[in-house]
Amino acid sequence: MLDSQIRLWIYQHLVDACRAPSLIETATRFGITPDEVGEALRRLETEADAVVLIPGTRYIWMAEPFSAVPTSFLVRSGSRQWWGNCIWDALAILALLSLDGTVSTACPFSGRPLVVTVANRALVDAPGVVHFAVPARDWWRDIGFT
Amino acid sequence: MLLFRSEDDVHAWCEKRRLTPGAILDLTRLWRLACSWYDDRLNLNWRRRTIGARQAILDDVGLRGAFWRLTDSPSLRSSTSS
Repeated sequence: MLDSQIRLWIYQHLVDACRAPSLIETATRFGITPDEVGEALRRLETEADAVVLIPGTRYIWMAEPFSAVPTSFLVRSGSRQWWGNCIWDALAILALLSLDGTVSTACPFSGRPLVVTVANRALVDAPGVVHFAVPARDWWRDIGFT
Repeated sequence: MLLFRSEDDVHAWCEKRRLTPGAILDLTRLWRLACSWYDDRLNLNWRRRTIGARQAILDDVGLRGAFWRLTDSPSLRSSTSS
């Protein structure tokens, strides 16, 4: 049950503070040690597929659809902003939170800026096309490439 | 999954990287997928959806065919985990 609470708190922290919580912040919140948080994060990654850690560390990389590190997909809503792992995840952040906002990225080939606008749970401005390079069965084989 | 200015740019990018193009979608369909794929993530008792449940979401937005199959298993609908 504690792992579930930690998982949800990570998401709430991402939503409210627009960044992932540190080990110490999480430990303080739940009255446990940073090592115990690290163990919980490892279980959440390996047993529940709930988070992705930066390889070789106990730092959160992804809590899908959020990215804890900067990416090419900046999500903005009002004064808040987040990073999405890809265009799918970036749009999913606005969908998950039922927010109006934008996703800013750039065409990987031309470098042209592309901004997708969402309002009232619908696309308002939707330039470009989406490319899935990897078949669905391989999406989790190398999550960083997918 | 990346957003390109046009299909021509997708193919040019793939050619430059010597990649075989995958699948190309319009944003409207991706938005439908985005609305449903993660909609349970803020639930306390979240558990990763079964492969069958995830496949159903892909099917619901019209993403069918070999590229969109999450597994080769013929018993997909009864799968319990990823």
